Amino acid sequence: MPPAADTTRRRIAFGGVLLLVAALPFWVRNPYQLHIASLIGVYWVLIGGLNLVAGYAGAISVGHVGLLSVGAYAFAILAGPHGWHPALAVLAAGALGGLCGLLIGLPSLRLPGFYFAMSTLACSLIIGELALAKQNLTGGGVGLAVPGFAAPFRSARGLYWLVLLLAGAVTWFTWNVTRRMWGRALIAVRDSVIAAQATGVPILRVKLTVFVFSGVTAGVAGALFGSLQSYITPDTFVFEMGLFFFVCIIIGGRGSIIGPLIGTAVLTALPELSAPLARLSNFLYGVLLLVVVLIAPEGIGRLLETSIARIRGQRPTSLPVDPDLRRLAAAIRSGHSP
Amino acid sequence: MKVLEARNVSKRFGGVVALSQVTIDIQPGEIHGLIGPNGSGKTTMLNLLSGYYRPEEGTICLGEMDLSQAAVQRRSAGGIARTFQKPRLLPTLTVVDNAMIGGWTATRAGFLSSALGLPLPAREERLLRARALELLSGVGLGGVLSRRASLLEHAEQRFLEIARGLMGNPQFLLLDEPAGGLTGVEIGHLQSILKVVRDAGVGVLLVEHHTDFVFRVSDRVTTLDLGKVIKHGVPSDVRSDPEVIRVYLGP
Amino acid sequence: MLTVLVSGLASGALLAAAALVYNVMFSTSKVLGVTTGQTAMLGGVFGAWFMTRLHFPVIGALLGSVIVGAVFGLLTDLIAVRRVLSRSDEHLWLLSTLALATITQQAVALWWGTEPLPFPRIIHQDFGAGLLDQKYWLPVVTALALAAALELFYRRTLYGKLFLAMSEDAFAARARGIPTDRIRALSYVIVGAMGGLAGFMAGQLTFAYFAVGITLSLNGFIALAVGGLGSNAGALVGGAALGILSAGASYFIGGEYQNTIAVGVLMLVLLVKPAGLFGAQVARPV
Repeated sequence: MPPAADTTRRRIAFGGVLLLVAALPFWVRNPYQLHIASLIGVYWVLIGGLNLVAGYAGAISVGHVGLLSVGAYAFAILAGPHGWHPALAVLAAGALGGLCGLLIGLPSLRLPGFYFAMSTLACSLIIGELALAKQNLTGGGVGLAVPGFAAPFRSARGLYWLVLLLAGAVTWFTWNVTRRMWGRALIAVRDSVIAAQATGVPILRVKLTVFVFSGVTAGVAGALFGSLQSYITPDTFVFEMGLFFFVCIIIGGRGSIIGPLIGTAVLTALPELSAPLARLSNFLYGVLLLVVVLIAPEGIGRLLETSIARIRGQRPTSLPVDPDLRRLAAAIRSGHSP
Repeated sequence: MKVLEARNVSKRFGGVVALSQVTIDIQPGEIHGLIGPNGSGKTTMLNLLSGYYRPEEGTICLGEMDLSQAAVQRRSAGGIARTFQKPRLLPTLTVVDNAMIGGWTATRAGFLSSALGLPLPAREERLLRARALELLSGVGLGGVLSRRASLLEHAEQRFLEIARGLMGNPQFLLLDEPAGGLTGVEIGHLQSILKVVRDAGVGVLLVEHHTDFVFRVSDRVTTLDLGKVIKHGVPSDVRSDPEVIRVYLGP
Repeated sequence: MLTVLVSGLASGALLAAAALVYNVMFSTSKVLGVTTGQTAMLGGVFGAWFMTRLHFPVIGALLGSVIVGAVFGLLTDLIAVRRVLSRSDEHLWLLSTLALATITQQAVALWWGTEPLPFPRIIHQDFGAGLLDQKYWLPVVTALALAAALELFYRRTLYGKLFLAMSEDAFAARARGIPTDRIRALSYVIVGAMGGLAGFMAGQLTFAYFAVGITLSLNGFIALAVGGLGSNAGALVGGAALGILSAGASYFIGGEYQNTIAVGVLMLVLLVKPAGLFGAQVARPV
C-alpha cells in the first residue's frame, strides 16, 4: 500500500493533468492541433471500450472499425436528413452499435480466438460493403455530410469538450469495472479459461457483455468521429483503422487503462507530426505490434515497470510459507454462517 | 447433510477405458484419499466430479441434485471447489487478486452496477478482500499478498489455489496432487491446513501419489487400478491390503 | 451461367489452396497464421516482377516465386511463431502473425505500389480463349495438384508421417525424440512454397496486387471453416463451394454484395456446424 503522502502527490498530479487537458483549447497553437486532440479523444471513446474486450478479456477483435462506421452513418443519417436532435442521434448511434455488437458477438464469441478474429474482420468488411452498396441510405461512394451538435457543442472548442466529457465517462466506467470482481473475471477469461470455469465465471456471458459495451462506445465514437470530420465516405473506414485501434491497446499494455490511453494519444499524434511518418504509419504499426508481442507482450507500460524495478534493485524476498491455522479456521467457519 | 457422490460412473477416451463402473462418495467433514498407479483414473474421477468431463455411464450427485451433465461453473456455484495438478493461476495479477476471483460465485454486482460505481460492488469488494486476506494469512501467504502470481514459489502457488478454492465457501474441496513438488515441511503445513478445512465441515477429496501423506491425513482411502476400485476403507486396512500392495505400494 | 461456374471454380481454387496451406500450418504448429494470404500475394507480385521487370523466363519466375514464398514461410516460423509458441498464451501467435502479415503487406505496398498490375501470360495463349483461358484452369490444376501432392507426402514419405505424428500429439512426438522445431520449420517452408506457387498460378486472376493477402487470408479461412479444419478434401470442397457461391452472387445479385454473401455463409456454417463439413470438433466448451 502506498503511503499517504504518495497518494496525495498522485492525486495532485492527476488533477493537474486533468486541468491541462480541459484547458487545451486555450493553449494549443492552432485549430489543427485542437482537431488532433479531439480525434484522440474520439478514438479513446472507442478504444476505451474495446480495451475491456481485447486488453482484459483477450478477445482479438480487429473489426471494430465497422462498428465505428455504423455509429457514424447512423448519426449522419438521423441528425441530417431525418432532422433528429443530435443528442438523440448519438444515443441511437450507441444503441445501434451495441445491437451490432450483440449480433456479431453471439455466434462468434464461443469460437476459438482465430475464428473470432476472422469473424470480426469479416463483419467489418460486410459493413463497408453495405455502406457502399446502399446508396440511397448512405450516399454510396460519394458519402455523407455529417452535421454538428447543438450549441454549446457546435464550435470546434465545444466539440472538444463534448468529446472530453464522453471520453472521461468511458474512462471512468471502464476503470470502475476493472477495479471490481468483473475486472478479475475478464482477466481470468483471458489468461486461464480453466481457472475461470473452476471459479464459476460464465465465460460467454462475460465476453458478450463487454463486447456489447464496446459496441455502444464504438457507436458513440462513430457519431463524434463523423461530426468531427464533418464528412464521411466508406473509404474513411478501412481495415487498417481497425488494426490501429487494436494495436493501441496491445502496445499500451493489456490489463491496463492508462497504457492504452497513452498508446492512443501517441499513435494518433505521431503520424500527424511528420509527413514521412504518416506514409509509413501502417507499416510502423505492424513493426511496433510485432516488436511488442515478441519482446514485451504485456505492453510497454509493464516493460517500464520491470525495468524501473530492476534499476531500483528490488528483489522479491523469499519467506517460508507459515500458515495461521486459527485465522484459517475462523475464516472458513465465518463463510459457512454469514 | 449433503454427500458428493459418483455412482457407477464410466469414462472412455477413444478406445481407452479410463473408469469402469466406479462408485465413490465424499462425506462432509471428512478427508477421502484417492490413490492408485499412473493411469488408474484418479484425475479422471476428479475431472468428472468437478465437471471438466462428463460420464458416459453413471451419475454424479450432490445430495439429491444430479450434476452429471452440469457445466463446471454450475458445480462451483453449487459448492464444489478444486485445485489443479499444475496450478492454474492468473500470472499478471497479485496473490490477493488471484484469491479474490475465487469469490466470484458470491458476487451479486453486475457489469452495469460495477461500471456506474454503485455502492453494492464496492461493498462486496471490501468484504471479499477482507475474506481473502484472512484465508491467505490462514494458509501462510500473509507475507506475499501484493506479489504477482508469476513470481511465486511452487508451494506458494499450491497454497494460493487452496485459498482461492475456499473463498467461495465450498462444501467440498477436491485436490489434484497438492503435495507434488512440496518439501517435507510444506507437506506438514498442507496436512495441518487440510485438517482445519475438514474440521470446519468441508468434505475433502485428496487425489495423491504421496501415499505416506495420504494415509496419515485421510479418514477413508479408495484405491483405483486400471479404472476400477480395488480397495476401499480406513487407511490401516487399505495400507495392508495385499492387492493394493501388489499393484501400487510395492512390497 | 457456365462462366459463373468456371470463374467461380477458378477463384475457389485459390481459396482451396489457401485452406490447404492453413491445414499444413495447423498440423505441425496448431497455429492458424494470418500470413497465409501473404504467401500467395508474394507469389503473384514477385512472379510479375520477375517476368516483367527482370525478364525471367516463365520457369525461372515460377521457381523464383516458389522460393520467395518458401523463404517467407521460414521467416514466419522463425520470427512470428517459434518464440511465441514457447509461451503458453495462445493469443500471442495470432498477434504476431497479424503483425507480420501487416508488415509484409505494407512493405510490398511501399515497394511495388498500390495499383494492381496485370500478370503476364504463362503459357502462350490467345486472349480470346474464353472459358478455356488459362487464368481459369491454371489455379484449378494447381489446387488439385497441391492436394494430391500432400496426400502422397503424408502417406509415402517419412517426413509426411512425422508431420502426422506431430499433429496428433506434439508433446508425445517431442518425447519420442522427433525434432519438432525443425519439422515445424520445414512445414512452414512447404507452406510458403505452396502459397507462392498458388499465387503465381492465380496471378492472372488476381493481378499483382498488394492487398490480395488479407482478403485471401479471410476468404481462405472461410473455405477452411466450411470444409472443416484438418481436412484437405474439405479444403477443396469448401473452396469450390465458396468460389462458385461468390461468383453466382456477383452474377445474379451484383458484385457489391460479394463479401456479404461469403461472410453470410461463414456465419451460417459457424452457427450450425462449427466443425465444417469434414472437420473435427471446434467450439470450445464455455
